[in-house]
Amino acid sequence: MPDLIALQIELPSSNLPWLFAAFAVSWAVFFLYVIYVTRRQQEMQNQIRQLRRAMEQQETPEGD
Amino acid sequence: MAGTEEIQQPTSEIAFQSKFRWSDMIRVDGRINLRGCLLLVTGILMLVNLYMIFMVAPTDAVLGHVQRIFYFHVPLAIVSFVAFLAVFIASIAYVFRRETKWDNLAHASAEIGVVFITLALVTGMIWAKPVWNAWWLWTPRLTTTLILWLIYVAYLMIRSYAPSPSKAAIYGAAMGIIGFADVVVVYFSVQWWPGIHPTPVVGPLADTGSLDGTMRSVLLFSMLTFLALLTYLIMERMALQDTVDQLRGIRFSLRRAARQDAIPGD
Amino acid sequence: MNEFLRPIGVLLWKDILIELRSRDLVVSLLVFGLVVVVVFNFALNATPELVTEVTPGILWVAFAFAGVLAMNRAFVREKEEGGLDGLLLSPISRDSIFFGKAAASFIFMLLVEAVLLPIFAGLLNFSPASFTLILTIVLATLGFSVVGTLFSAISVQTRSREILLPVLFFPVILPVLVGAVESTKQALGGDTVVGLGHWLPLLGAFDALFLVICHWIFSIVVEE
Repeated sequence: MPDLIALQIELPSSNLPWLFAAFAVSWAVFFLYVIYVTRRQQEMQNQIRQLRRAMEQQETPEGD
Repeated sequence: MAGTEEIQQPTSEIAFQSKFRWSDMIRVDGRINLRGCLLLVTGILMLVNLYMIFMVAPTDAVLGHVQRIFYFHVPLAIVSFVAFLAVFIASIAYVFRRETKWDNLAHASAEIGVVFITLALVTGMIWAKPVWNAWWLWTPRLTTTLILWLIYVAYLMIRSYAPSPSKAAIYGAAMGIIGFADVVVVYFSVQWWPGIHPTPVVGPLADTGSLDGTMRSVLLFSMLTFLALLTYLIMERMALQDTVDQLRGIRFSLRRAARQDAIPGD
Repeated sequence: MNEFLRPIGVLLWKDILIELRSRDLVVSLLVFGLVVVVVFNFALNATPELVTEVTPGILWVAFAFAGVLAMNRAFVREKEEGGLDGLLLSPISRDSIFFGKAAASFIFMLLVEAVLLPIFAGLLNFSPASFTLILTIVLATLGFSVVGTLFSAISVQTRSREILLPVLFFPVILPVLVGAVESTKQALGGDTVVGLGHWLPLLGAFDALFLVICHWIFSIVVEE
């Protein structure tokens, strides 16, 4: 308890920068992670689409 | 050309999204878009949560505004633990059932668990600096969390270094099981470690019992929010893994078809 | 029971025979252990008072790192000549392979520790003749070899195996390491009477737990 009282005296109420830092970091990481996952998802979907198209084109001239 | 016919079937599953429509969030092709709905709900919850943390929760008398980190830090830590529990359960299920979905669940949970626990550690350090005047103290709880982080980073490493996807799955399951068992053991052994503070004195969890009612409900709401976020992220990550698997399947059958074509001679 | 024990004995004897002929593992581990102590001495700039305080730590860091090296060799040797495939094809149960390899690692490490301990005792000024200390070493080494054998079997199959093994091994083995250091501290502190503290039983419990889990997981991991 004496620690807490000491802290109270020492602590300026303006420790807002720390609060800001913690929230900024968390939100930034969430967004970056979501962006990373959705972008990879899109890339993969694009590749699948390209492969499909290539396969269809390959199939038509051959005339199965 | 028998190989290529198999690939054609799932085409309808991948809806070609040319333009974003808000209604797609809720229904796609007449089916309810579970992930979209969850994203919507999670987004709303996150915003409400921010309101709760900054407007509803009272300012801590002793620590001041910095105490509000608590409403992010504690749920992050607890939810990451939920994620690792999911890794453990999914790993056991994979060992017995050998179904890819369990492995995907384990992989997704582990990755997001690592993201969450990293954030829990970082927000904890940001909390500790003004309150304890040190970025880090070797308290049992912090030490356990750091070891947890190391174990699941090792989990992700073992997967990415494995020689094949099936080996990655089984090695991951091994690490998922032994890692979680170890976490419990580490927790106790570190508790009894005499070299450090036995219990966190000013730590966030030490005074949970003395939390006032509003603070407690804000904390509970925040936990709910992060649980929703965890679920959404896991689903998103599993969908990505599905696409990865699909792409691998197409590549594989293309290569097989090419090889079959090559044998008769072009 | 004989059916179960005989293959273990054969495997163990095979590893001992290889070691007797090549002598590369035990000798290099001994030198390595000495190097660790010397490096610590320079890194900490040890005064006599400091040495007594950090002795358990130095001792176990040396043993643990030497253990990782030994584990690394355990399956690399099998992998190099395709011996692992041969082992898996032979009509022995996976359990026997696990216990055979773990027993070999256990014995090599104990041997190295038995040689190193008196040397360390001389260099760091403590008395090695303590029942608690010896029991601690045996129990902790058992835990090391059990966990190490499992992760060695995994990491040998992966790319960058030398780096992956310590990364997997140390976080998992940490409870054993903590127990070993604390128990050693008690042993060197002089109270070698009945007051073994709770660390020795705890070490035994960790060993039992790891033995059960690791040998179960090992059979799953190698069957692929």
